[in-house]
Amino acid sequence: MDAAAEQKYDYGVVRWFTVMAAVYLVVGATAGVYIASELAWPFLNFDIPYITFGRLRPLHTNAVIFAFGGCALMATAFYSVQRTCATRLWSNKLAWFTFWGWNLIIVAAVITLPLGINQSKEYAELEWPIDIAIAVVWLSYMFNFIMTIHQRKTSHIYVSNWFFLGMMVMITYLHVVNSLAIPVGMFKSYSLFSGVQDAMIQWWWGHNAVGFYLTAGFLGIMYYFVPKQAGRPVYSYRLSVIHFWALMFGYVWLGAHHLQYTALPDWTGSLGAAVSIAMIIPSWGGAVNGMMTLSGAWDKLRTDYVLRFLIMSLAFYAMSTFEGPIMSIKTVNALSHYTDWTVGHVHSGALGWVAMVAIGAIYHMMTRLFHVELWSTKLVNAHFWTATIGTVVYIVAMWVSGIMQGLMWRAYDEYGTLAYTFAESVEAMHPYYAMRAIGGMIFLSGAILMLINILMTVAKASSERSIERARTAAATA
Amino acid sequence: MSSLTDYFQTDWEAMTTTDWVGTILTVVVFLLMVGLYVYVLRPKNRERLERFKNIPVDDDEHINSGDNNGG
Repeated sequence: MDAAAEQKYDYGVVRWFTVMAAVYLVVGATAGVYIASELAWPFLNFDIPYITFGRLRPLHTNAVIFAFGGCALMATAFYSVQRTCATRLWSNKLAWFTFWGWNLIIVAAVITLPLGINQSKEYAELEWPIDIAIAVVWLSYMFNFIMTIHQRKTSHIYVSNWFFLGMMVMITYLHVVNSLAIPVGMFKSYSLFSGVQDAMIQWWWGHNAVGFYLTAGFLGIMYYFVPKQAGRPVYSYRLSVIHFWALMFGYVWLGAHHLQYTALPDWTGSLGAAVSIAMIIPSWGGAVNGMMTLSGAWDKLRTDYVLRFLIMSLAFYAMSTFEGPIMSIKTVNALSHYTDWTVGHVHSGALGWVAMVAIGAIYHMMTRLFHVELWSTKLVNAHFWTATIGTVVYIVAMWVSGIMQGLMWRAYDEYGTLAYTFAESVEAMHPYYAMRAIGGMIFLSGAILMLINILMTVAKASSERSIERARTAAATA
Repeated sequence: MSSLTDYFQTDWEAMTTTDWVGTILTVVVFLLMVGLYVYVLRPKNRERLERFKNIPVDDDEHINSGDNNGG
């Protein structure tokens, strides 16, 4: 069966994307742990500008979102579209172009961001020449995906492909509009928008990067890999269709909830918050749909460590898609905005949902792509617990720190004078910053275990010549 | 805001072409979505839609056969 798949599908590029995703998770999480440590112990800046928090923070976010997340999305989309459409990629060469192009962009980010070459737009920091390269490479990914669906041997387009496609279309649109800029040199440009319009466009992009890239794309992963790993069809296909369209319709409205109490018209923030609350329904519908796929077979979680990652990710998905809308309500936002609570919320989504569902998919694909069992299933179990504990430690630290921060900033005495100085609030946060760094280290240790496991699995496949044997077996069958 | 009516008060004269295009498109897309929900949730369409859920579980089979799946 595996041998036949080796002949029928283009797995080479998927293998490389899969391994690189594991590499970039370690790189991105290492940068995250380092900057978290800098906040707790500022001497770690060593007075070197290239490694200060301001320079490394965008490197961390770009590495985890676009390097790790991007490679995971490209690997899973190229893998599942072939299998659900019963056809190979439309163009294997174009897929390799996407692979090398995406990795060159990552290298460019690693060079330019520590040098301070930065557009100062969150999650869109890279300068204009790299932005153009991103658009070209992303379009190559999307075009290949669409053409693969076009040449499918099946009549129906499975829902995971709809989610991937929704992400591809919307990210193209969002990236191009948000990146419109006037270059004034090779490494400097100014946004085409200014003032409040710039803020609005930035957070229209910012929240939809979360909504389409980190949610819709990873739901594509969920809808293929949860049923596949569980060996059972998704609980309700109708619910998945509703989940998809509600997400596509709803997410684009939310951006303004990042800009409550700013110069934006009041109604835009209220609208953003109202639609955010409404989005709890499809989000929870999707989470329940994924979890109930295990209905009647929950015992699989005892023995299947990969499935644990996938199901735990859905628990975090449900949690963060409830927490986000609550934080967007103006009264809650007045307390939470600009505090560490936001950072905790982002990481419950990023570590708990995005990383865990991608990790589950990566482990799932490894055995099928390399035609060997994983080098160590015990390491997968150890990874699951380090990832879960690390994430919980991280987000609990940020909840406590953030709420305390918000309460300290707004506290005032009977004369209307602030009860605490800003420096006092920073001092009070120190233990939680140390705790956050430790949570990140625990999560990172799990990512390192995964990388070791994956590299050893690749080495095992190489020594057993499993890929060559699969190709030969398929050719002679 | 003194009342809900004030909150939803709109100066229709001030609406630009862009405002109208955006408003109409939003309403049309919303109605299309409602129509889709009705279609998806109609009991008679249940079986027709639910049979597609097996596609990922069955994909090992069509590796060998290469024929239609769920169509």
